[in-house]
Amino acid sequence: MLLDMWVKLILLLLFCLMILGAIHFAQPAESEKLNSSAKVLNSLRLLTWNIGYAELEDDTRAHNEDLPAVAKVILREDPDAVALQELTGTAQLNILLGLLHGKYRGAVAQQGKADRFEGVLVKDAGATFIPVAVGARYALAASFRLRQNTPNVLLLSVHADAFNAARRRSYTEALIDWAQGRVQSSEVFIAGDFNFELKAANVTNLYTDNLKHDSESYSHILRNFRDLGRGAGDTAINDRRIDYIFGPPKLEELGRVEVLRDAAVGRMDHWPLLVEVGL
Amino acid sequence: MLTLLKLELEKLFRAKSFYLSFLVLVGFVALMLWGFYTYAARKTGGEAVEQFKYTYESKQYFNGLTFALYSVLFSFTLLLPIFVSMSAGSQVAGESRAGTLRMICTRPISRASLVLAKFLVTALHAALLLTFFIGLNLMVGLIFVGWGNLELYPGPLNLVDVPGKIMRDDALMRFAYAVLSGTWALLVIAALALLCSVIFDSPVQATVMTIAAYLTLYIVGRVEFFEHLRPYFFTTDMDFWRDVFKPDIPWQSLWHYACVCGAYTAGLLLTTVIIFERKDIVT
Repeated sequence: MLLDMWVKLILLLLFCLMILGAIHFAQPAESEKLNSSAKVLNSLRLLTWNIGYAELEDDTRAHNEDLPAVAKVILREDPDAVALQELTGTAQLNILLGLLHGKYRGAVAQQGKADRFEGVLVKDAGATFIPVAVGARYALAASFRLRQNTPNVLLLSVHADAFNAARRRSYTEALIDWAQGRVQSSEVFIAGDFNFELKAANVTNLYTDNLKHDSESYSHILRNFRDLGRGAGDTAINDRRIDYIFGPPKLEELGRVEVLRDAAVGRMDHWPLLVEVGL
Repeated sequence: MLTLLKLELEKLFRAKSFYLSFLVLVGFVALMLWGFYTYAARKTGGEAVEQFKYTYESKQYFNGLTFALYSVLFSFTLLLPIFVSMSAGSQVAGESRAGTLRMICTRPISRASLVLAKFLVTALHAALLLTFFIGLNLMVGLIFVGWGNLELYPGPLNLVDVPGKIMRDDALMRFAYAVLSGTWALLVIAALALLCSVIFDSPVQATVMTIAAYLTLYIVGRVEFFEHLRPYFFTTDMDFWRDVFKPDIPWQSLWHYACVCGAYTAGLLLTTVIIFERKDIVT
């Protein structure tokens, strides 16, 4: 009987110790947003936003009635350049430019097989826009300078296939090839919705080809570029981080990095990602 | 207590199921080797190279350590818990079914120490299984696939957010850590199966109930409907063992989840002892 009591006491003690240990080693909940307030010299502020709707809607492209809200966010955050995805076309872009009171210039990509367009808005009046053919799709690049003494910046607005990981991989390969050819003459930034399904935290997926394709794509980009929004968290509903801004690997200063979770309106399924870097 | 432990060990080594569990693991390694070989051949040449220009999957990536890592991670989720459940589930219920439990309990031994001895033997079985399995995978990997560094990429296996690498010698040490962390995680299943073994009189029932509980939580935990419940499942906490394969081991998180698993194990064992003490043994 005495031994029984001892065994129970030891087990109880062990149980309490383990609970205390679990509490002691518990990590404080990570702040959802990484919001550095550090001042950045020659600051370049970029924003990427897929302003389309979730899959369940009739028309999943951007809606004109949301444009005032989109413009409000852009004017409030005051980025130097904006990469937009899922615009319906030039007419919609012009409405948005009007709502921005002429503060930005912009263009949309050529039409590929899809019914939606990538767009870029830039503050610099001397910016040039370059169509980028990536397989059957088109991305759009804007070349601009912040100031006379700063290097030339090339921002690509991109949107990879939402439904096929192998197509995303081919698209990424072509895109990086194109961008790599320009890194000598410009600071290249790639921003947009890549649709990568790479969520590593807490999930134990077994091996799938789709996962492998996205892994290959993402790893390929990281060979030459830096994932600037990595610490900012999810950018779309259902805890997905599918919107990215990639930049030069040797960027010395990274300022504010934030997913603007109060920005989505209507049935939008993405939030804008804002990144501030020093050139 | 020591005599009890010796007797339980004898029973374990005499049981056919003990050797069967190792045999099945050998079969699994053979299957993995075949799959790995054919997959590596497909992905490092021919169609894959034509379709995609760039790949991290080179012959250097497909080495013995990568093989062992995939094999261990795949089997840990579903295969090893089954053997641990079988071993622990038959400890008390098996005696009950064989009609020997009543006889044991008429002897001047404490019921709590009997439960403890049976649990320790099950823990040893789990540790032996994992040691054997990891050792076998590394050996097969070395002989049939060849050594190299352990390269990790985001996505598959969900171990890293950015590409990472663990050098060969360090990686071997990580496999040794995995024996410890994996065994510790499996003890939760062992304790649950032992509890079922005390509650039910049939070892099959005890094993099936344990596996059912484990699989239910495991599957429910992967369905997004129950995303908010996921942190409360022991199956989620058990996953900590894999952290030893991350390039930078997150020690604080690892200790946290190890303690949570320890609390589950100790709590379940305490419940088992209390129930077993009050159990009216009629067979």
